[in-house]
Amino acid sequence: MNALLDISGLSKRFGGLVALSNVAMTVGEGEVRGVIGPNGSGKSTLFNLVTGVYPADPGSLVRFRGEDITNREPHEISRLGLARTFQLLRIFAEMTVIENLLVGCHRQVGFPVGAALLGSTRVRAAERRLRGEMLDLLDFVGLADFAEMPAGELSIGQRRLLALGRAIAMRPVLLMLDEPAAGLSPINVDKLLETVLALKARYGLTVILVEHVMKLVMASCDVVTVLDHGEKIAEGPPDAIRDDHRVIEAYLGREMKDAEVRAFLRSA
Amino acid sequence: MTTGEQGAPTARGARWFFASVGAQPGYRWGAAFVVLLALPLAIANGYQQYLLDLIMINVVLAVGLNIVKGFAGQVNVGHVALAAIGAYTSAVLSTKFGLPFWFALPLATLATGVVGAIVGVPSFRLEGAYLALATLGLAESVRIFIAVTDYLGASVGYGDIPPPIIAGWRLDSYAAYYYVVMPIAVIGTYIAFSILHSDVGRALKAVREDTLAAAASGIDVRKYKLLAFVISALYAGCAGSLAAHMAPGFIHPDDYNLTRMITVILMVVVGGLGHVWGGVIGAALITLVAEWTRSYYQYEFIIFGLIVVLTMMYMPRGIGGYIDRRLATRRFIALRRDKAAAEAI
Repeated sequence: MNALLDISGLSKRFGGLVALSNVAMTVGEGEVRGVIGPNGSGKSTLFNLVTGVYPADPGSLVRFRGEDITNREPHEISRLGLARTFQLLRIFAEMTVIENLLVGCHRQVGFPVGAALLGSTRVRAAERRLRGEMLDLLDFVGLADFAEMPAGELSIGQRRLLALGRAIAMRPVLLMLDEPAAGLSPINVDKLLETVLALKARYGLTVILVEHVMKLVMASCDVVTVLDHGEKIAEGPPDAIRDDHRVIEAYLGREMKDAEVRAFLRSA
Repeated sequence: MTTGEQGAPTARGARWFFASVGAQPGYRWGAAFVVLLALPLAIANGYQQYLLDLIMINVVLAVGLNIVKGFAGQVNVGHVALAAIGAYTSAVLSTKFGLPFWFALPLATLATGVVGAIVGVPSFRLEGAYLALATLGLAESVRIFIAVTDYLGASVGYGDIPPPIIAGWRLDSYAAYYYVVMPIAVIGTYIAFSILHSDVGRALKAVREDTLAAAASGIDVRKYKLLAFVISALYAGCAGSLAAHMAPGFIHPDDYNLTRMITVILMVVVGGLGHVWGGVIGAALITLVAEWTRSYYQYEFIIFGLIVVLTMMYMPRGIGGYIDRRLATRRFIALRRDKAAAEAI
């Protein structure tokens, strides 16, 4: 497996707070990688540094498809084929559902502004084709009925699906999902799990997943990376992580007996 | 087979005609254009014709503001100052340099576009009220600069701006000038529509909704913010130039003060931010209200304030937003019904 994303020495301080310290991580092509850790362990910071939302501290190096993307602009990074979702979703509420997806297609349109202004026939034909493709994608995530609805009228669960769809619309190579299952009911978590696995199969995507719902992580990930207080404390296949002492301590403190913890993690 | 195909030949013909008008947006624009061409025939007097010209100019102005504020979500309180730049550039070019209207108009428009790029730069770092203050500062400095510059007529105003001339025919009547401003208003509206329904329009709206998510979708946020300011400045400059060359060919710095700016903002807000038709309707409506209440000018702010409050209470998204919502709901219900019918079979 070739390394698609290669992170080394990734650090970030906010004033005196160390959010992320010297984290290294390599994600291979076609892998589903889980990133877990207690609240405030630096998972979202990791995402924001990789996607260029915050500048990383000196010494950090992020390589994507062999190219150095450290501290590049977010839109440049996404154009290289790295799509992400946000914990707070950030869907375009005042736009229709299908428009949300079409925004994801932005870099695939690439007509000069002038052609768009005049509404030339070529532009219109390209629009129709994209619209058709996006309707198929909506069908895939199960929102086809809502295509022309303002996205702000969707329920939380539907918004999560839309955010996922918008990221897929970009035809990424690497998809980074920030807590895709937060706030979903158990049934919907199962659905999401199916969708993520279907995505991997259908589009050959590599997926990085930040998640609190253990069931999703354990069932879908090939490798799990565990963060605590901004440091990587463990990495390995889900089964190994489940029984790792440091992970258990990080999540639940030292007082709890190991047997109880294991029971908790299994039941989750 | 639909019932229409079984109907009488004339009914069938009519149905076919309306169906094709609906299917081809070009026909609709053509039909609207023909109606507008004939509109002066229904006009009783010169004052009404003047109002109609004014509405057309305000449509250009309001549609332009809608692109920066409604589409891209960037506050620009300096929109009428951009119109002032267009007006004075055009006036100077045609009086001091002797350029005909047909050259002064595009040059003034382009010059304003360049200024628009400068006005747009603060939007990289500022948002909302802060951006409003920055653009307001620019706007007031433009107005005050004009009011103290003798070359530009200072606070006396700038007169003797020639009307457009075609083959020796001076278009200095309101009726004749209508045929200059109306096509420009129609073309401006059409272009705004094309932008809204294109990839560019979606990118602008995405910037308005959430800059972070827009950037994560591969949109160069700064580029599109600047583009919105430039396009909207082109509209403002064009509207300014049109206003300058309309009879009696006189402009004054007070035409571009804060009250005027609020009037233009009102057109867009009442019409519906981000909604092109709404902006057009709002421009017509507010132009008429402003003209009819002219004799009670001391109450102008009370009247406008009342309009804002009522709009916010009953139609927070303006006339256009209201229509949009009705249409979206109807489409959704139709889709559901079709699906249920398909499943029943």
